[in-house]
Formats: sequence, structure tokens, C-alpha cells
Amino acid sequence: MSPALIELEHVSKSYVAGTWALHDVSCTIEKGEFVFLTGASGAGKTTLLRLLFAAERPNEGRIRVLGRAVERMGAGDVARLRRRIGVVFQDFKLLPRHTVEENVRIALDVAGVPGGEARARSFAALKQVGLQHRRHHAPLSLSGGEQQRVAIARALVNEPDLLLADEPTGNLDPALTVEIFDLIAGSAARGTTVVVATHDPAVLERYRRRTLRLEGGQIAEDRPAAGTRR
Amino acid sequence: MASAGSVVVHLRHFLRSALAGLRASPLPAALAVLTIATTLVLGGAFGLLVRSMQDVLARVGAEARITAYLAADVDAAAAQALAERARALEGVAAVETVSAARAAERFRAGSPERAALLDALGESPLTGSLEIALAPGRRDAAGVARLAQELSTLPGVDEVSDAGDWVEGYGRTIGVMRAVGSGLALVLAAAALVLVASTIRLGLYARRNEIEILTLVGAGRAFVATPFLLEGALEGLAGGLVALAVLFGLWRALLPSVAGGLEPLLGGASLRFLAPGEMALVVAVGAVLGALGAALSVAGGLRR
Repeated sequence: MSPALIELEHVSKSYVAGTWALHDVSCTIEKGEFVFLTGASGAGKTTLLRLLFAAERPNEGRIRVLGRAVERMGAGDVARLRRRIGVVFQDFKLLPRHTVEENVRIALDVAGVPGGEARARSFAALKQVGLQHRRHHAPLSLSGGEQQRVAIARALVNEPDLLLADEPTGNLDPALTVEIFDLIAGSAARGTTVVVATHDPAVLERYRRRTLRLEGGQIAEDRPAAGTRR
Repeated sequence: MASAGSVVVHLRHFLRSALAGLRASPLPAALAVLTIATTLVLGGAFGLLVRSMQDVLARVGAEARITAYLAADVDAAAAQALAERARALEGVAAVETVSAARAAERFRAGSPERAALLDALGESPLTGSLEIALAPGRRDAAGVARLAQELSTLPGVDEVSDAGDWVEGYGRTIGVMRAVGSGLALVLAAAALVLVASTIRLGLYARRNEIEILTLVGAGRAFVATPFLLEGALEGLAGGLVALAVLFGLWRALLPSVAGGLEPLLGGASLRFLAPGEMALVVAVGAVLGALGAALSVAGGLRR
């Protein structure tokens, strides 16, 4: 059995007293797994992802990501953890005043990667998502699908141990959805652990990976990947 | 630990980001530069005024004398011996011996009425004296009083007239100017800090998405905050340079009339503009004010 990359033990998170966004959630995600989080809006998918990259702290329970206890982390440890995690959002979160290449490269600048190497790696990451020829363009001159591919290139350029994606195709049409999920699945095939929140049943059906279905802030179902037993 | 390569990468990012911030928010940046420049112009002008007054007063102070009047029976040789003893006292810069005859000449030269008075008396009542110039560091009231006391104990010295009142006034004026200057500088610096902090906070708000993205890709607080501090320092630097240009312009425009008014006091000496070191200080103070203002803003704005 692979070592656990993510461990949640009785995790609860509340934003408003008396209402749980997540309640008593426990699960383990192993290294190299590709896991879908699904459920209706408000089920707790985004909260769970935000807990994993330490954008939120749990009210109760323990969370270990990449072997580190997230709930006890200081600001410096959070920054170091995030350099090992790639995050993709529904709204892309690109810097409009910077070029496509600069948007990808920002993750390398934060990690202190020297100039020549950073250029080569950002070019390679953009080539991986098929946008090397648009590297000098402004993000806003790109289509929605292309902008999300830039965001994926930025998330992958540091070769993260963990890739998190929150409804990455929520703003895209079905054809682009497949394109984006193929890129994410490609990353998983190269060994990156991937956790993706989506409520798109077509995606779940197409990829047939392990799926955690959230309902009212709790895990209602943990369905294994097609062809595997848990 | 960061390698030299990563430090260079970070420095390049900080500078690029700071310049991008200035380009992105030209109006708040210009406001911050003007605020710091105004502060430094006011502070610098006041500093120049105090410094010029000190120069004038120091020059006047150099003319201040303590006069030790000698007894009528002290002859020229004894007067010279007393002058030697006076020269050896602490705080004495120079001693001039004035004979009784020279004292009478000076008195006569003062006005025809004085000359007539001496003629009427038939015999001059004036005695010889020692005129003692004070060393620059001893022109305070306490130093003058101490020296006057020591001179009065010398045998042959009849009476000592010191410049205590003038020296006390001189010291008080400089003290008041310095206190007012320090208070004014503090008030101006505080106002500049608040204004610079506000303009940098506008920049923080305008770039909140960039800050969010930087933190998402693993930037620490120092990585996020440093460009803002650099931005503040650059605004301060620009403010310092603007202030120097304005001060120099004002100096050139006002110097002729000011120097003309002070001519009797200056006695041929000229007022001087800021020295290179003082100009560097003005610019450095601007940069520090800018960076401090930014730090105030960033400390509040980047709380998680």
C-alpha cells in the first residue's frame, strides 16, 4: 500500500456558529491517487480543498498533508507547503497585467529558481498545455479554456507532489472540459497526487476514478476507482 | 537557506514588482512623492534656517569678549605677565592687552562728546585691560561665568566684565530653534508616514488579487511585502530628490535678499546651501520615511 499523502481525522469546519461546512470528515488519500470530490453546491467540496492548502483552519480534527500537520502550521510553514502543491481554480486566478509566461513563472520566482532555468521550465510547462506560442500574450487575450490551461501550467511548473483543482471547468464548455481534464489526468499518470472538485457527472463517468461524494458537509459515499477494490 | 542565485531571482522580482506597482498606481505614487517632498522641503528649509542662524550667531559669538580691567598700578610688564596667565586658562582662545593710553584713544574715537569729556577731566580715569576671546566650545553661559570668576582672582585684575547676558541669549535662541525644529520635524514626519501608509494601502488594495495569487503559489509574507517596502522607499527617494530641487530653487531665489539683510552680522562671510552629506541625508530620510510608511500599511494589510 502506498503511504498516505493526505489524512483527515474527524475534521470539522464551521464559518457560522451552529452550521457546519464540514462535519466529522475522515479519509485518507494515498500518494499517486486521482480523487474526485463531488456533491451539490454547498456540500463542502471547496472547504475541504481550502483546508488541504491551509487557506482555512479546521475547528476540530487533524489534517496531515505531505506529512505535515496543517492545523498547527505557522505562516512560514504554510508558504513552504504551498510550494509543493499546485492549485487550480474555477476563475483561473491569473494576473492580467503580466504575460502568460510571467504568470507561469511566478511560481518559480517564489521558489527562487534562477532565470535561465525558470525560462526553460515555464516554456516546457506551457508546451505541455499547448500554449508555448502564446507565452508573450496577455491572459485576457486568451479564451477561457486557454486561460485555464495557463493556470494548469502554473500549478504544474514546480512539479508539485499534490495538485488540487476546484471546479476547474466550471466556466468552460464540454469540449474544453475534456481537454482540461485530460491535462489533469496526464499529470496524475506521471505520478502527481490529484484531488479535483467537480459536480459534472460526465467527467466522473468518463474518468471513473475514486470519488468522495459530499453531502451536507459529510462524506456520504467513498466510491473506489473502476476496477479497484477498497 | 536561500542560495545566491535565488536571492538574485528574488531581488529582480522585488524590483520588477515595485516598479510595476508604481506604474500601476501613478496617482497614489505621485501623491506619496509630493507628501514626502513637502515634508522634506519644510523640514529642510527649517534646517537651513537654523543652520544659517547658527553660522551667523557663531560668527557674532566669535566677536564676544570678556574684559578684565586692570588696577591703575599695573604696568606694561605686569600686564603682559597677566595676559600670559590668562592665556593658560581653560576656554581662552586669545588674549589682547589694551594699555590705558589705547583705552583712552578708543574712548576718544567713540564720539566728539566723549573726547570733550576726557579733555574736561584733564587726566584719563581709564585703566589698561585684557580682552579675552572665548574658545568656540566655551561660549555658553556657565563657561563664561566660570572663566570670569577665575580671571577676577588674578592679582592686578580690578574688575571683570563678561558677555554672560549675550551668551545666555545666544544659547537660548539656539535651544529654542532646535526644539521647535525637532517638534516640527516630528509632526511633519508623522503626517508623511500616515499619508504614505494610506497611498501604499491603496496599492495593496489595487493589487489584492496579485497578493492572493502569490500566497497561493507559496510566497511568504516577506516575499509579498518587500516589493511594497521597496515601492515606498523609491517614492521616498523621489520625494527627497524633488525636495532638494525645490530647496535649491528657493535658496537661489531668496538668498540675495536674506544675505543682504544679514550683511552686518555676516561681515563678509556667506551663507551656504546644504553640504553633499546633508543632501544625501535629505534623500535618505525620504527613503526611510517612504519605507516606514509602507511598512505601516503592509503590516496591517497582509494579516492573514
